Amino acid sequence: MAGLAADRRTFLKGLGMLGAAALVPGCATSTTNSNSSGSSGSASGELSLQSNLSAEQAKAAMEKLVEAYGKTGGKVKLNTVAAEIFRTQLPTYLTSANPPDVYTWYAGSVANSYAKKDLLLDVSSVWDGMQNYPESMQKLSTGENGQKIFVPTNYYWWGMFYRKSNFAKWGVTPPKTWAEFLAVCKTIQSKGVPPIGIGLGDTPWVASAWFDYLNIRINGAPFHRQLLAGEGRFDDPKVKAVFTKWKEALPYFDPKGKSFPFQEATSALLGGKTGMFLIGTFFADSAPKDALDDIDFFQFPIIDPSVPVAEEAPTDGFFASKKAKDPEAVKKFLAWVATAEAQEIYVKNSSGTVIPANPDGKAADTPLVRKGKAMVQDAKELTQFFNRDSSDALQPTADAALTKFLDKPDQIDQILKDWQAAAEKVFKA
Amino acid sequence: MTNRFKTSGYHLAMGLVSFLWIAPILWVVVISFRSFDDVAANGLGSLPHSFTFSTYKSAWQDADEFRALINSLLVTIPAVLLSLGFAATAAYGLARYNIPFRRTVLLLMLMGNLLPPQILLIPISRFVELTGYYDTLYALIAVHVGFGLGFYTFVLHGFMRDLPREIQEAATIDGAGPGKIFGSVILPLTRPALAALGALSFTWIFNDLLWSITVIRSGEKMPVTPALLGLQGLFVSSWNVIAAGTVIAAVPTLVVFLKFQKHFVSGLAIGAVK
Repeated sequence: MAGLAADRRTFLKGLGMLGAAALVPGCATSTTNSNSSGSSGSASGELSLQSNLSAEQAKAAMEKLVEAYGKTGGKVKLNTVAAEIFRTQLPTYLTSANPPDVYTWYAGSVANSYAKKDLLLDVSSVWDGMQNYPESMQKLSTGENGQKIFVPTNYYWWGMFYRKSNFAKWGVTPPKTWAEFLAVCKTIQSKGVPPIGIGLGDTPWVASAWFDYLNIRINGAPFHRQLLAGEGRFDDPKVKAVFTKWKEALPYFDPKGKSFPFQEATSALLGGKTGMFLIGTFFADSAPKDALDDIDFFQFPIIDPSVPVAEEAPTDGFFASKKAKDPEAVKKFLAWVATAEAQEIYVKNSSGTVIPANPDGKAADTPLVRKGKAMVQDAKELTQFFNRDSSDALQPTADAALTKFLDKPDQIDQILKDWQAAAEKVFKA
Repeated sequence: MTNRFKTSGYHLAMGLVSFLWIAPILWVVVISFRSFDDVAANGLGSLPHSFTFSTYKSAWQDADEFRALINSLLVTIPAVLLSLGFAATAAYGLARYNIPFRRTVLLLMLMGNLLPPQILLIPISRFVELTGYYDTLYALIAVHVGFGLGFYTFVLHGFMRDLPREIQEAATIDGAGPGKIFGSVILPLTRPALAALGALSFTWIFNDLLWSITVIRSGEKMPVTPALLGLQGLFVSSWNVIAAGTVIAAVPTLVVFLKFQKHFVSGLAIGAVK
């Protein structure tokens, strides 16, 4: 009996070894599965266009644009990714071994930061055919080394939006100066409505519009740009002046605005629960179509008449990867999207509140868009927006500082000190 | 009397807790039937002023959720089968045979599980690119199999170890080889644990977002979770369509869970009580 038991044990041991042996190739196959060299060479002569325009209308407009380009003989494969994914993955796309060729993105610092890392294609030759573009766009599209790296296609504007019928009901007219603005706020508040709407829950960056505008109205656009580029200090007395001015308007802000995103703030404005709302034209996408006819806007009030008037006009467009498989085809496509004709196709099919970057391109012919275009064209200086003029890394420092200011306006000195410290970390990184 | 009071109190309290649990889901369902203008005019939190099915239509057609669901299933089903298959084989060897360093192997697998997967985002993204499998569903399957393997092996090992030794010995005496023992004796006995893990891993892999956006960049290859994210615009999102898409995306996991519910509960219990 004992012998048998021992035999059985050794037998089992042998089986165990066999089992282990069987396991090893099992593991091996699972690794070779992903290890076998299958270099994906997709050299089909087709450009790949990575787009972050995932909203329904914008996506459809991009499809139309690509289709129209197809009719001219070019081949572009559109790949739309959710905006949020695109934002986080863009560095990965650009640094990968086989990157997409062309990307939708924003002009200004956010594009230049990639140019600095030498990831973008030099598109100076495309700009040779874009002589009619204003100089501001040219400057905006030029990287640090003097090469053009960006092709703008459209822009939009920011303004103080309101409902015409409500302003008529309250007996107020759009103000032009800061004093008039505060008077309007007072009147609206006396009617029991919070005058200034805002939406900071989930979208704290909306507060940066206030900072941007107050800064460019008080200190001017050049100071604003330097500050955002890390050449100024956030604890500068000039920056503090921005917040002292802001404080005058603080009692008129909608106290509920901290809890909901700007989309809800749009609903509040349209529902007459707030008086006005400083926002970009993209908000119109979240408005019911029948309310849009009742919407108007006025320019952010002038504070110091001696400061040249600047406006926020965020510009969108395309850039291309340095590793593009067929740079000539990329340039051909970019030259085409720079034409008035191509930009009109996009504007017509998207929500219609963007303006073609090409001065010859026609924007949607509504009173609102005409007024917006005129405002931007009359401006002496253009800025983009906080994150576009600085970087996506600096934006969270602004969000933290500004939301804290809205909560505790008395601690402004400490807040600005903290902001400067946080910004220094970003600029050093 | 007190007993009845106790019972009704219990039901009332539990009813409330269940309602709290289900309320966000109900809210999503309600939003999914509202029109965009209603949401835009009255806000997300208000009571519905409209009723429409068009949200489901636009989630299904315009947002291409059908293709996204197919992609999800193309990844999830092979990944679940492969990882459970490998894990069962590994657990069988580690639990039933005296393999040298088996404890080390097991601990190593457990250790891998304790590591936050985010740490490996960049290495994996680079590795997948290096091997030329970037932007393919194969890469996603491989990642899921790799990540699931440690945990599944650990659970199955605990389960298989407690199966009576005599069964295996009897099978050996009857002339069954290790493969035969695995296939005809151990595997059928492990079914409750496999079913429980199957349901769990299906949900995990199906609901994954992180790996799909790391490994895949083409819109048409994206599984359903990033596709739902894609319904969010840069600034403005049609929450009603997103809600409808979410409801649709919840169906497969729900079906799997209902199907495996019985096994799931018993499987967990067997694993817990030694």
